Amino acid sequence: MASHRKQYMKVFVVLFVLTVLEVGVTYVDVPRTAMVLALVGMALTKAVFVAMYYMHLASERRVLRLVVGIPLLVFPPLYAVVLMTEAAWRLGGLGQ
Amino acid sequence: MSDAAAHAAHPSAVDHFGSATTGKIGMWIFLLSDAMSFVGLLLGYGILRSGSSDWPIPSTKLGIPFTALLTFLLICSSVTMVMAVAAAMENNRKSTCLWLGATILGGLLFLCGQYYEYSGLVHEGITLSQCAGCPPQFASTFFIITGFHGAHVTTGVIYLTVILLQTLSGKYDGKPDRIEIVGLFWHFVDLIWILVFTFVYLV
Repeated sequence: MASHRKQYMKVFVVLFVLTVLEVGVTYVDVPRTAMVLALVGMALTKAVFVAMYYMHLASERRVLRLVVGIPLLVFPPLYAVVLMTEAAWRLGGLGQ
Repeated sequence: MSDAAAHAAHPSAVDHFGSATTGKIGMWIFLLSDAMSFVGLLLGYGILRSGSSDWPIPSTKLGIPFTALLTFLLICSSVTMVMAVAAAMENNRKSTCLWLGATILGGLLFLCGQYYEYSGLVHEGITLSQCAGCPPQFASTFFIITGFHGAHVTTGVIYLTVILLQTLSGKYDGKPDRIEIVGLFWHFVDLIWILVFTFVYLV
């Protein structure tokens, strides 16, 4: 259990640092696409850390990881890309 | 039929999911479906935002430093939650209750922060149906998504309080999986907030 606690604190440090970086990125003058990619990447990394170590998915059987992971990692991004692109094209959004 | 043969003919959930108990698998399935409702809301937000040419950068309307503090608070409450699970695994009732109490406190502080944030926004003319100087969809998607998450935090606080009271009475001595299951719900609430914070506040 002591080793578990150590791991929990390490994950906390990762989550804390990434949160600080996320907020920091919004104050830096970088191209918007790069900023969005960095923010989404950091958020997904944090979410995976929480699921794997705090929700113990890392120590569950692979089949449970797949049951949870596949629907969430495949379909939402697919729908997001298709529907948001379509909305931007049809309604002339994204600053057009 | 021998025990081994019966086991082979009807493998239990334990065979399929390792250490996961039936309750834990049930909570995972619930969380998966609950996650899809958040996916629906976030997709709706993305579609409305993609289709709008005058959507403001959220940081111009919302207080990022204050919300970052709320995010930090929720991450801290996730740590206290895993500490409660670790204490429950060691069958340490007192420590489990203390950590559960700290998690509840984190949740309550988050809700107070959200109330404070909403009050400020309403004062500035940003309400569920109106937005001063921005499309009304900006305000309505903001309040619906964060409000739906806030409802989950409220549910989590109530759920944690019930589990705390039952743990205090000794009901879960030797049953750490019950603490782990409420922990799954609480971490899920934290995980969703990580995504909401990024998509609704930062991007």
